[in-house]
Amino acid sequence: MDQLLYISMTGAKQNMHSLAVRGNNLANANTTGFKADLENARSMQAFGPGMPSRVFAMTERPTQNFTDGLLKTTGRDLDVAIKGEGWISVQDKDGNEALSRNGNFTISAAGVLQTMQGQAVLGNQDAPIIIPLPVEKLEINEDGTIEIRPEGAPADALEEVNRIKLSKPFAGELTKGDDGLFRATNGQPFQPDATVELVKGALEGSNVNPVQEMTHMISMQRQFEMQIKMMKAAEENEKATNSLLRLS
Amino acid sequence: MHPALWISKTGLDAQQTNVSVISNNLANASTVGYKKSRAVFEDLLYQTINQPGGRSSQNTKMPSGLMIGAGAKVIATQKNHDQGNVQTTDNAFDLMVDGRGFFEILMPDGTTAYTRNGQFGLNDEGTIVTPGAGYPLQPEIQVPEDAQSFTVGEDGEVSVRLPGQTDSQVIGQITITDFVNPSGLEPRGQNLYLETGASGAPQNGIASENGLGAIRQGSLETSNVNVTEELVNLIEAQRVYEMNSKVISTVDQMLTFATQQL
Repeated sequence: MDQLLYISMTGAKQNMHSLAVRGNNLANANTTGFKADLENARSMQAFGPGMPSRVFAMTERPTQNFTDGLLKTTGRDLDVAIKGEGWISVQDKDGNEALSRNGNFTISAAGVLQTMQGQAVLGNQDAPIIIPLPVEKLEINEDGTIEIRPEGAPADALEEVNRIKLSKPFAGELTKGDDGLFRATNGQPFQPDATVELVKGALEGSNVNPVQEMTHMISMQRQFEMQIKMMKAAEENEKATNSLLRLS
Repeated sequence: MHPALWISKTGLDAQQTNVSVISNNLANASTVGYKKSRAVFEDLLYQTINQPGGRSSQNTKMPSGLMIGAGAKVIATQKNHDQGNVQTTDNAFDLMVDGRGFFEILMPDGTTAYTRNGQFGLNDEGTIVTPGAGYPLQPEIQVPEDAQSFTVGEDGEVSVRLPGQTDSQVIGQITITDFVNPSGLEPRGQNLYLETGASGAPQNGIASENGLGAIRQGSLETSNVNVTEELVNLIEAQRVYEMNSKVISTVDQMLTFATQQL
């Protein structure tokens, strides 16, 4: 059979994968702290005997777009966003450290400061932050320190209880896991960084650029159509060959 | 079938829920004591198609793989318990909690519910009850039939002046209940909330003491819904919905093209 048919087929199939990546970005256009996935295609050679013509396409998700999402002010005490670069350390479901940009926190009935997804936020010594209940007022300061006013205490009796672990690893060292959290590619622990600043009472929106995603989607669609056209051409060539060989 | 169809479907679903939450907020924009909700989104699991670090040949590894996310979903609706605006009504039975805390209400089935809506009234027996359903306020307070005036102090002390007397007489005490995590309360309609495992246990106390809010007579707490904010959220939700439906129609066109051409 003609290799052209198979080469075009991988092209079309990989375009479909790219489209799924773009579709996921658009589905998360409203998800707090979401970082858009990037997608690119790579050539995969499958040379054999004969002419080296078979180069397949392969779609990859090399990294994420790490630009900041737009800040939305919410005014809620337990909402924080990161100003510029930086990450919040949380505990994933296996108990390991992972990074998130989602600063939409709650306090569980046991006093654990956690994200809305239920992951505990890490503080000093990489331990989950426990808020001594009951508290009347909780302030998360711009440097990540948490100050509380115990119930019944006078207005100026703020006491520092912990500090959210904030780090600033190089974006190239991070990989997004299948739960949407980021981890170090080399498995090294993250170092706290005192220069990371928080914005109180705000959340970081998704950094998905809808227009860009739609444009990519259209270009994927056209590429896909071209691959189909190639398959059609392969079919027509085949037909022509058959009719040439037919005995009249 | 094509994964992008299902991915965009999750996006449509999530935005539809978001619109429902926003419209419920707008519908309650003038409900006394109503606390606005917001939808919390999360990205779904990622499906690994090519594992990063997988072998591309005997001696080489692929630098990056392909993981496709499965879309988005609304994981929670979060109540924002910020204080609403103050509306002065000068009605003696209109009470509001200025600060933290809830009024305690006895439900017909014997359980306790909590509310921020202080539009109270009296039933035929002179008991202070909620305006709609007539559930009694706890601790129960009986106002004498011939009371000339009705006063509630900032600390919740209820006093009345009876005919022929110069001094007011204390007839009861309204207490305030607070929760560690009010966002964890379960809203059950009629402006009432129920205790859950996430809210923590109710802590009953005297108003304006130990960090509890003060009781203000003759005022009501309006809904804390900001109409402009909700309208902006609505526009955003609508556009994200439209873009997700665009993905579905694009995939559909691609599949149509493939089936017709081949």
